Amino acid sequence: MSALDLKDVRKVYGDGDQKVVALDNVSLSVADNEMLFIMGPSGSGKTTLLTVAGGLLQATSGSVVVGGTDISGFDGRELAAFRRDRIGFVFQAVNLVPFLTARENLLLVRQFGGGKIDTDARDRADSLLTDLGLADRAGNLPSQLSGGQQQRVAIGRALMNEPPLVLVDEPTSSLDSELGQQVMELLTKEIKSRGLAAVVVTHDDRILDFADRIVQIVDGKLTSDSSDNSSASPSGR
Amino acid sequence: MSIALKELWRQPQRFLPVWVALTLLVVLLVILAGFLDGLSRSQTGPYRAYDGDVFVLSDDANLQVQRSRVSADALTDQGLDDVADVGFLDAAFTVAAVEGTATGNTSSDNSDDGTNLQDVALYGYSMSSSVLPHAPDAGEVVVDKQLTRQIDVEVGDRLVLGPSAEPMTVAAIVDDLSAGAPTLWVNGDEWRRLVGTINPALLPPSGQHLALIAQPGADIKASTVVEQVDQIDGLEAADVADMIGALSVVQQQNATFTAIIGVTFVVSLLVVALFFALITLEQTRLYAVFKALGATTRELLTGISVQAVVLTLIALAVGMAISAVLVAALPPTLPVRVLPTRLLEVAVGLLVTSVIGGLLTARRLLRIDPASSIG
Repeated sequence: MSALDLKDVRKVYGDGDQKVVALDNVSLSVADNEMLFIMGPSGSGKTTLLTVAGGLLQATSGSVVVGGTDISGFDGRELAAFRRDRIGFVFQAVNLVPFLTARENLLLVRQFGGGKIDTDARDRADSLLTDLGLADRAGNLPSQLSGGQQQRVAIGRALMNEPPLVLVDEPTSSLDSELGQQVMELLTKEIKSRGLAAVVVTHDDRILDFADRIVQIVDGKLTSDSSDNSSASPSGR
Repeated sequence: MSIALKELWRQPQRFLPVWVALTLLVVLLVILAGFLDGLSRSQTGPYRAYDGDVFVLSDDANLQVQRSRVSADALTDQGLDDVADVGFLDAAFTVAAVEGTATGNTSSDNSDDGTNLQDVALYGYSMSSSVLPHAPDAGEVVVDKQLTRQIDVEVGDRLVLGPSAEPMTVAAIVDDLSAGAPTLWVNGDEWRRLVGTINPALLPPSGQHLALIAQPGADIKASTVVEQVDQIDGLEAADVADMIGALSVVQQQNATFTAIIGVTFVVSLLVVALFFALITLEQTRLYAVFKALGATTRELLTGISVQAVVLTLIALAVGMAISAVLVAALPPTLPVRVLPTRLLEVAVGLLVTSVIGGLLTARRLLRIDPASSIG
């Protein structure tokens, strides 16, 4: 069973003369424990692909199956529960909640859907922060953290609910080269050590070595698929 | 919910404007409600003096005591078993002053301009109540506290009443029983004698009074006596609440203040609604992230409602404390009366309007697209 299966997915915005085809019959499969990178120029549809895969937008047609669950017919409430339980998001702008500490930002996802913060949740948050090298920063607000530390908190939040699929949007866009490499090493380590699948959207050529596979998207269509990229890893994976 | 509370706690400056506005609105509501009850109280003392009893008037008087004429034995002839006692009430307006100080024009307050004559309402009565003592002897008068606030008078002092300056000795001072003016209470014979010197045209014919007071027997409800008396030809009965409600001055005051208070509640609702609409606009991205992470619109609305309730509770506490200080600082002649039940109404009303104001952001929250958290 694949972590993500997209089959003939089409996403169209507007209608008539205003119609824009953002995804044009895209079919894609991401295996468990695979890191798939999606590259493409601005407006090519890579972010739309990410939002459809993550249940943030419904496809106009085609099927979206995540971890064996077809979400194509889900309503808004079902999609919210699906995102909460099955998807981890790492946003381009980090998007930490400014008035919550690093630890509380991780626990945030456990509070939605009537969830409670129990001892297990606290232990998991502490364990993740330790793994991410932020144990001594657990009580700090985002404004008291560096950009790299904020990105690490965002990674921890994405992993908090142990999702089978993590979606990452431009993880290094606001980081310098060195910090970008560090964040990607950490993200890869956390994803791989947990056997998760990840889809990473990026413009950044410097981090392509972390991909297991790279696909290109242009005008809403997948144009190429580099299926063996592991030998290029600078980190020796 | 805890997320909403943490935002309140850690970013209080964000909520300061709406909190200040709500606190000021609480002060306004409490003061307005205080005037509403104070003004009503200042017009209705003689009715409240017979709380629990039944007023009996002629049926053509529309429950207005001044228009009524009732035979003194209108009830005693009927053999009403549920009535334990019957008294009467007569009323007229005049002026009074402490003996030897009556100078200048009349005034409703004790100003320092040399004016010592006070407008007063003079009541003749026969039946004591929980407020009124037995009717005083001839030459004696019972005065209410409102008069003592306006002129310096004590038990044993001598007052002069009316244009002929009839001398009367203060026999007792009772709770504030104002009827638009301080009230003086004398026995029935004394009332007829005094009104005869003030304005004989006001005197009801001999053997008649303006109103009778029927005291229900033990375990008998006032409404039962009202029903029985209403069966008697030529009479109309009402309990104290209905008598007060029939006063046109009270009706006008209630209507005016209720309208002002209602508008204030609407303003409160708009303040809260506009504030949370702005907050939602300002935090659209954050709410989109919440939705992307699995929050439902209902959860976000609950958070906003919790913030509205907590802000309102704090505003109520601070606003009522400020109101208490302000009311204490007002001159005693201003008719402000703060009732616990009215405070409760203000609190519940403001909480409800705040929650509704917060919930008006629902449409805006519903429109936030979780996909906007990406890109």
